[in-house]
Amino acid sequence: MAGDQERAHSRDDVRDTYDRIATHFASTREYAWPEVESFVTSATDRESSGVGLDLGCGNCRHAELLAADCESVVGLDVSRGLIETGRTRALEREFDVELVQGDAASLPLADDAIDVAVYVATLHHLPTRAARRASLDELARVLSPDGRALVSAWSTAHDRFDATEGFDTTVEWTLPGGEPVDRFYHIYAPDEFEADLEDSNLELREWELSSGNCYATVAGDDRSRGR
Amino acid sequence: MKESLLDILCCPLDKHDLELADAEYDGEEVVGGDLVCTECGEAYPIEDGIPNLLPPDMREETPA
Repeated sequence: MAGDQERAHSRDDVRDTYDRIATHFASTREYAWPEVESFVTSATDRESSGVGLDLGCGNCRHAELLAADCESVVGLDVSRGLIETGRTRALEREFDVELVQGDAASLPLADDAIDVAVYVATLHHLPTRAARRASLDELARVLSPDGRALVSAWSTAHDRFDATEGFDTTVEWTLPGGEPVDRFYHIYAPDEFEADLEDSNLELREWELSSGNCYATVAGDDRSRGR
Repeated sequence: MKESLLDILCCPLDKHDLELADAEYDGEEVVGGDLVCTECGEAYPIEDGIPNLLPPDMREETPA
C-alpha cells in the first residue's frame, strides 16, 4: 500500500537522521530530566518494579535511572548510532541495560512484559498521527496490568512556538562543524496530546505541562487484553 | 544480548515468540546469530550483540 510505504520511508528518515547526529547529540544529553526522576522514584516505590523500559532510549540516561531500581532494563531505540552511545554510557557508568533496535510503533516486546516505562521526547518524532497512535497502543499492550509509564512530548506551550494548534515541523540540529541536520517533530497542542492519550488503549492517570513539554502518567489498560 | 531477554522479546510484526538460531557467544552474551519468528519465519539479525528488531521494511540495507 502506498500509505504504508510512505510511512515506512519517513520512519527510516528519522532513523537515518539520528544515526548521523548520534555522537554529538548524545554528548549534549548528559542529565536525566527532573520530571523523569520524580516519576521513576514514585513508580519504582511500588511492588512490581521488575522490568523497566526506556522507549526511545538514546544515550540511556533514563535507562540508567531505571537500572537503579528495576531488576532489569530494556533500552530500545530506532537508531543504531544512538544505541551505541547508550552502550558506551552503560559501560562507563557500570549499569546494566539490554539494548534493542526497534520501532516504537511496532514494539518487539511481549504483552505485559514491562512494569515501568519511560517514553520521553520520542513520540513527537513519529511522522504520522497513525504511527503515534499505534505507538501508544503498543505501550499499553506491553505494560503489565499494574505497570506505569511516563509519556512526554514537546508542545505548543513552549516559548519558542506561538501556535495554539498542533503542527508538523523540522528543527535543525547543528553538528560541530556547523552543518545543519533537520529533524522531524510533531509539536503537540496540549489538548491534542491529552485527546490522543484518551483515545489510546492507555489509561491516562494524570498529566501536566512542564518546561514546554506535556507529561502524562499512564497505566496499561484492560481494553488491550483478550483481543 | 543475554539469552534471557528472549523471554520478553517477540516478533514486531505478529508478536509471536522468537527462537535463537546460529547463535554466536562471547561468554554469556549472545553476540551474533538470528532471532527467528516461530510463526511467520521472519529472521531478525543480532548485530554485534544487539538484536535488530526493526520491522523488515525499516531495516537498513547495509551498504557494506
